[in-house]
Amino acid sequence: MTLAIRSRPPGGAAVRRGRLPGGAVARRVAGHLVRGLVMVWVVATISFVIIREIPGDPVAGQYESLIQKGMSPEQAERAAAVLYGFLPTGSLWEQYVGYMGSLLHLDLGQSLSTPGVPVTTLIGAAARWTVLPVLAGTLLSFLLGVVMGVYAAIKRSGRLGDVLALSGSLLHGVPVYVIGLLLTAIFATLWPIMPSGGPVEIEAVPGLNPGYVGSLAHHAVLPVVTYTLASYGGWILAMKSNVVAVLGDDFILAAELRGLRRGVVFRYLARNAILPLFTVLALSIGMLFGGSIFIEEIFNYPGLGLLLVNSISTRDYALMGGTFLVITVGIVVANIAADLLYTAIDPRVRSGGSA
Amino acid sequence: MTAITDAGEAAIPRAAAGNTRATLRRNFWRGVWRVMRRKPSRMAGVVIIAVFAAMGAFGPLLYPAHLPRDNSALYAPPSWTHPFGTDFEGTDVLALVVTGARYVLLAGLATAIITVALGTSIGLFAGFRRGRWDTLLMRITDMNLAIPGLPLLLVLSTVWKFTSPLEMGLVLGLLGWGGVARAVRSQTLSLRERGFIEAARGLGLPTTHIIGRELLPGMAPYIAMNMLIAVTGAVYAQVGLFFLGVLPFDANNWGVMLNFAVFNGGALTTPAALPYLLAPLLAILLLTLGIVLLIDAMDEIFNPRLREE
Repeated sequence: MTLAIRSRPPGGAAVRRGRLPGGAVARRVAGHLVRGLVMVWVVATISFVIIREIPGDPVAGQYESLIQKGMSPEQAERAAAVLYGFLPTGSLWEQYVGYMGSLLHLDLGQSLSTPGVPVTTLIGAAARWTVLPVLAGTLLSFLLGVVMGVYAAIKRSGRLGDVLALSGSLLHGVPVYVIGLLLTAIFATLWPIMPSGGPVEIEAVPGLNPGYVGSLAHHAVLPVVTYTLASYGGWILAMKSNVVAVLGDDFILAAELRGLRRGVVFRYLARNAILPLFTVLALSIGMLFGGSIFIEEIFNYPGLGLLLVNSISTRDYALMGGTFLVITVGIVVANIAADLLYTAIDPRVRSGGSA
Repeated sequence: MTAITDAGEAAIPRAAAGNTRATLRRNFWRGVWRVMRRKPSRMAGVVIIAVFAAMGAFGPLLYPAHLPRDNSALYAPPSWTHPFGTDFEGTDVLALVVTGARYVLLAGLATAIITVALGTSIGLFAGFRRGRWDTLLMRITDMNLAIPGLPLLLVLSTVWKFTSPLEMGLVLGLLGWGGVARAVRSQTLSLRERGFIEAARGLGLPTTHIIGRELLPGMAPYIAMNMLIAVTGAVYAQVGLFFLGVLPFDANNWGVMLNFAVFNGGALTTPAALPYLLAPLLAILLLTLGIVLLIDAMDEIFNPRLREE
């Protein structure tokens, strides 16, 4: 990972830039969308195959047990289809087409562990507990990492630079759950100034009252800090190597020779070093979504990750498939957004080759 | 990026006599020694990794097959006999960490070998052939990179009980080769334009020779670094899976310890169980530190430009 992050933006963009004159951006967007849709399709197929291939075939099992309870085959078929989003009978191909069809209608079936509730409702409720902390963590770690990265690059031969770079490598290397567990051990067990879990105090009355909001914020501190620390390492390492690379560029030397003020030189530096970081943004968001499983499990935060783990332990396969799909879509969308943002910001990509 | 600089070295000795090669090797080791000595932290990294390797190899031999329980000392506080206290059954926590290392490291090693073998061959092939094969392989690589590994692992664990360390390594390796393939491909693309490769092609040397004798030696350090990174990644992934409790607990393992400490032992609410939680965390932290320091040293050994600052 450390190595991958150091690399410059993907070469494909640079190559294509030369050939496409006007509609480069539009074509870029279209390409992303197609690739994103293919990804989603692949993952949907994987989740279909897995639900089908689970030992004991839960869909067929459900169908059989409904018939044994005295339902007619048609009723049982319909009930099972409501639960899983596809008919338990017919050829594999028909089942697959049925599943894909219901996905197109955003129908992910119904939860088995909380009967009668559509999977989409459960996922919708969980999503904000994942998305908000992930966004907050991404923003915070970006700010922290960029500032520290500039310092680490400028002081790279001194002790401060060494310590900063080491802190980056270590945090980048350490798994998310170690950070989360250590923070909880310190701030919730040894020195209990933070709550050890849950999204909010149970006694707090939901609504826009200071008690509830304060409790929400209090409970969000440790998860958000964990997200921040987990992706801070990537930012500082990437920023440091970018700044070091830009420092060696001729235009910085020229600016210094022309006697420009330090502030101006710094602006030149920062602007050129920050741009490539938007490719790191995609990586970072993906990592945070993956890490959300651990963070939500540790802090008992009712987000998508916790939903996925719970659905696996309760064998709620419809919920499992749906959550897996939604997490993947989240990552794909975040990656596309990060890349479009990069396109919008980097004038070299934006102008499509005229630069 | 890094580490290709001695590609030239690899090409030179072919023409030279055997003893030039010996001199080069001696100089190389002297350089390694110098880099190590310049920062004591790097030595520490080597020592840490050596200790972990020894733990994986000999750890289980130090203790009886079934670790003794002591019902009179549940969650005993740290002492001389139990440096990290005992767990909920009165078993020594340090013994659990030491004996649990084998599973963790073995799975990590298996993953790394598969990741690097797959990633290197795919990356080399794609970069060297270019054209249609390259496009196809890179689409697959993108897919491999973009599908979120952990959620997929969780979902897979309902179908496939990857319990033995080798099976675990196989699954993690099959899911994780994308990064290495991309890196190796870009390295190949840049190397194949260099003079010595063009010369080899011009001479009509067979492709296997060019890849095995000319390309790979220059990339070896780079691949070694990726291997280290793959080991750590695999260690984290499997410890995490056991921590989440989605895999059956057959073996003693750091992740199992974390799971018991957090979800059964109440380590996040009662300080008594804290040593049981902290011991495996400390082991993971130390392993990371060792690998980070080792990578730092390798960076400088294989990239001489970093040596002067």
